[in-house]
Amino acid sequence: MIQKLVNILLVEDDEVDVMNVKRAFTKNNIKNELFVAGNGVEALGMLRTSIVPLPRIIILDINMPKMNGIEFLKVLREDENLKNISVFVMTTSNEDSDKINAYNLNVAGYILKPLSFEKFITSVATLKNFWSLCEM
Amino acid sequence: MEGLNILLVDNCKNFIENAVNAFSQIGIQSTLCFAENNTEAWSMLQGDYKLSPLPKIMLIDTNAEGINGIDLITKIRDNFELKSILIFVISDVDNDENKQAALNLNIAAYMSKPFEKGEIISFFSTLNDYWNSIEFSSENK
Repeated sequence: MIQKLVNILLVEDDEVDVMNVKRAFTKNNIKNELFVAGNGVEALGMLRTSIVPLPRIIILDINMPKMNGIEFLKVLREDENLKNISVFVMTTSNEDSDKINAYNLNVAGYILKPLSFEKFITSVATLKNFWSLCEM
Repeated sequence: MEGLNILLVDNCKNFIENAVNAFSQIGIQSTLCFAENNTEAWSMLQGDYKLSPLPKIMLIDTNAEGINGIDLITKIRDNFELKSILIFVISDVDNDENKQAALNLNIAAYMSKPFEKGEIISFFSTLNDYWNSIEFSSENK
């Protein structure tokens, strides 16, 4: 998957976390193009108006203004053109209800946001290795 | 990962044997259960041999004889108790139609099936790292 360089969309409102993901991508030599949306509404706008090439992967925060991650997932899964995109939740929420809702909407994984940048790099490295097994 | 059941649906005895060995060698703490076809798998999910707890992870060879992976995944997605299972499809056939059908059912991954013993260990080692990096809900169905 990584070799085919599919596009990735990061839906995240926290600028520090956006920067951490970008830096972790660089540290792990991930060359896939990374697009960023600040919340669910913005992400849906980008996906539906083809402002960006359709991503195969979305990395999704849960707690965001305007439209949170779970609300975004519900809309995504009901949209014929978008419903098959792989979604990886990356959030600080350790609430069981968020995990249950996310898995019921068939996310590919629910990752707790690492607390240090070193752990961020490790977490993204694990994702990269997993993606290398996947055919998109 | 500890205490979880993982259900492998495959009828290739060699692969099952190598998977069991890989789990043991890597030290994967979950229990690997296996079913040889759709009927057996369904009986372990909703029938007489229902697993407890139900698996949170399934690996399905969609193109093996006697296994219609797409039918099985569709049934799982339509079932309230099962729809949240993380499904990893493994296939040794280059079948784009099958791949798209599986991806449309929101599987977690569509992957080429490894064959050599070393490849199988590496495959499960990478998967295990990923499984350990993600959170599961604490509900046991």
